[in-house]
Amino acid sequence: MKILIVEDDLEAADAMARGLTEAGHECVKAADGEEGLGAAHAGQFDVMIVDRMMPKMDGVTLIQTLRREGDGTPVLFLSALGEVGDRVTGLQAGGDDYLVKPYAFAELIARVEALARRRETGSVATVLKVGDLEMDLIGRTVHRQGKEIDLQPREFQLLEFMMRHAGQSVTRTMLLEKVWEYHFDPQTNVIDVHISRLRSKIDKGFDRPMLQTVRGAGYRLDA
Amino acid sequence: MRLPRIFRTTAFRLTLLILALFASASLAFLAYIYVATASEATRRTDREIVQEMRSLTGAYDRAGLDAVNQSLIERAASERPFLYLLMGPDGKRISGSIEASPVESFRGDASWTTFSVTDQDAHGRTLKHPARGLQERLKGGEILFVGADVGEDEAYLVKVVRALWGAGGLVLILGLCCGVLVSRNVSRSMAGLAGVLEAVNNGDLGARAPVRNTRDEFDELAQGLNEMLDRLERSMAGHKHAGDAIAHDLRSPLTRLRARLEAAYLDVEAGKADPTQAIEQALEDTDGVLKTFNAVLAIARLQAAGSAPDPVLFDPAELAADISELYEPLCEDKGIDFAAELTKGLQVRANREFMAQALANLLDNAVKYTPAGGAIMLRVRRRSSGEVEFSVTDTGPGVPEEDRARVVERFVRLENSRNQPGAGLGLSLVAAVAEAHGGRIELDEGPGKVGESGPGLRVALILPRAG
Repeated sequence: MKILIVEDDLEAADAMARGLTEAGHECVKAADGEEGLGAAHAGQFDVMIVDRMMPKMDGVTLIQTLRREGDGTPVLFLSALGEVGDRVTGLQAGGDDYLVKPYAFAELIARVEALARRRETGSVATVLKVGDLEMDLIGRTVHRQGKEIDLQPREFQLLEFMMRHAGQSVTRTMLLEKVWEYHFDPQTNVIDVHISRLRSKIDKGFDRPMLQTVRGAGYRLDA
Repeated sequence: MRLPRIFRTTAFRLTLLILALFASASLAFLAYIYVATASEATRRTDREIVQEMRSLTGAYDRAGLDAVNQSLIERAASERPFLYLLMGPDGKRISGSIEASPVESFRGDASWTTFSVTDQDAHGRTLKHPARGLQERLKGGEILFVGADVGEDEAYLVKVVRALWGAGGLVLILGLCCGVLVSRNVSRSMAGLAGVLEAVNNGDLGARAPVRNTRDEFDELAQGLNEMLDRLERSMAGHKHAGDAIAHDLRSPLTRLRARLEAAYLDVEAGKADPTQAIEQALEDTDGVLKTFNAVLAIARLQAAGSAPDPVLFDPAELAADISELYEPLCEDKGIDFAAELTKGLQVRANREFMAQALANLLDNAVKYTPAGGAIMLRVRRRSSGEVEFSVTDTGPGVPEEDRARVVERFVRLENSRNQPGAGLGLSLVAAVAEAHGGRIELDEGPGKVGESGPGLRVALILPRAG
């Protein structure tokens, strides 16, 4: 993927670019909002990573400008502001996701890849397929190798998210945010328990486990 | 060109305005008095002249010219204040108290005139008096003139005018005094407000505007200013406290982290430890510090703000059901019996995210401390006071009564929880969330001792009734 990084902290931008390049992505860096706007105009990007507080033009203004111009590139906001209101402002301005600094790199890369994926699937499919796992979004049914799997509503949502991001790592925080819509760090392993329940339903009795644990990052659904 | 400062002050302008009002009002009033007095005096003199004239012409009509002549001579000699002149049809003087008629070009109809008479005072000085007169032709063709000295009226009018000028001066002085008083009050109130602003600008947030309890606009302004300053001071104190708290709370975990890194470094140097493991441990510790930081920041911000941001009306049972659904599998895995008793249809006005986090913290704690085979109960109910109570009851070890007030403080971890994960901020955040919503938390014993476990803990988060 081609990623634009708009971040005034050069060290942070370098570290980000290095990590993303290692993961096989191509990165372009811009050191402030104005430079970021120029770069966005000059090239086609799959995802933009934008810091909120920057000199010359802050991240929110930059994204509002791009959105007004009809640029729909997915945006991940990075921010040292972690208030409820800040996140809402960022998302209202046209951001697609929001990550509070400091973050684990695994969290950043998982979110960036999830954003790019969202763009590809136009979300119009009524059936999701990953390997031999099939989800009918209209009938609300799930089959693996033709066998119906009975899921609770929340488990269904959880699996849907994992299937939409099949092959990518998704973090616990992402799951809590996207599936439960909560934005806090639980002190306990609540998410793991839900995942292990889902795993026992979709992997148990089949030769190949699909729901993988990615150490230090979270989970991944593999075909 | 700018006016000197005095002319630009509101006080000066107010004084001027009040003075102008007083002056114009009194001018109009005094002018009216003058005109009324003067015209009344003239009318009275004219009436008297006409009456005198009527009585003389009446005598003429009744008894002829001689009677009038007789009457004139008598009247001229008496103390009556009139001037008489009887003339023949040709205008020649027949008798009277003056030599010649002051009426010029008399055409025969009744005509009024204003003239002056000379007189001698006691010192032999010649005085000129203004006078008015009426001249008519009698039926026989003779001409009769009756005049009156209006000097006294004039003198009276002069006195009136003098009195009026005096009154006008008094009014002006009064107006000036009023203006000065009013504007001094205004500028004193203004100066009070300006002084407060200056003091605040110079960093004294404790300065307050004087309130005189007159309940006028200035008092309202002063009260408004004071309320704003109160809020500002509270908020500043809150922020300062938050800053101090963050500095204080992060110092220990950071010191610990540094010590561990140092120890790891020495171990790696000495070949006693695997660097990868040391780095992993350091990362984990850093995450711990960050979690602590976020929690401290959230608490500090809530305390500094003094109120929860973006409150919305919602049904607490729905939120509690949502959170239950998140925690139920966790309890089940641990072999804890989880139940929820949720009264539906209540309403609270609160920030959903903070409330969700508070409930999650309470359930986190309950799950952490409740042994396998224990039970956790989440309740939402309405108290008889109308308040809404969320409560989490567990069958864990509970908190001794003497420690209950303390566990709410930041970083307080009781002896038996030292081996549990967490920084000791869970309950502090719950308390901060409750306070930010105008509520409170209560801790008491759970269901009591059952065999080895208990007595349990019941933590209630109580919110005021919505509306």
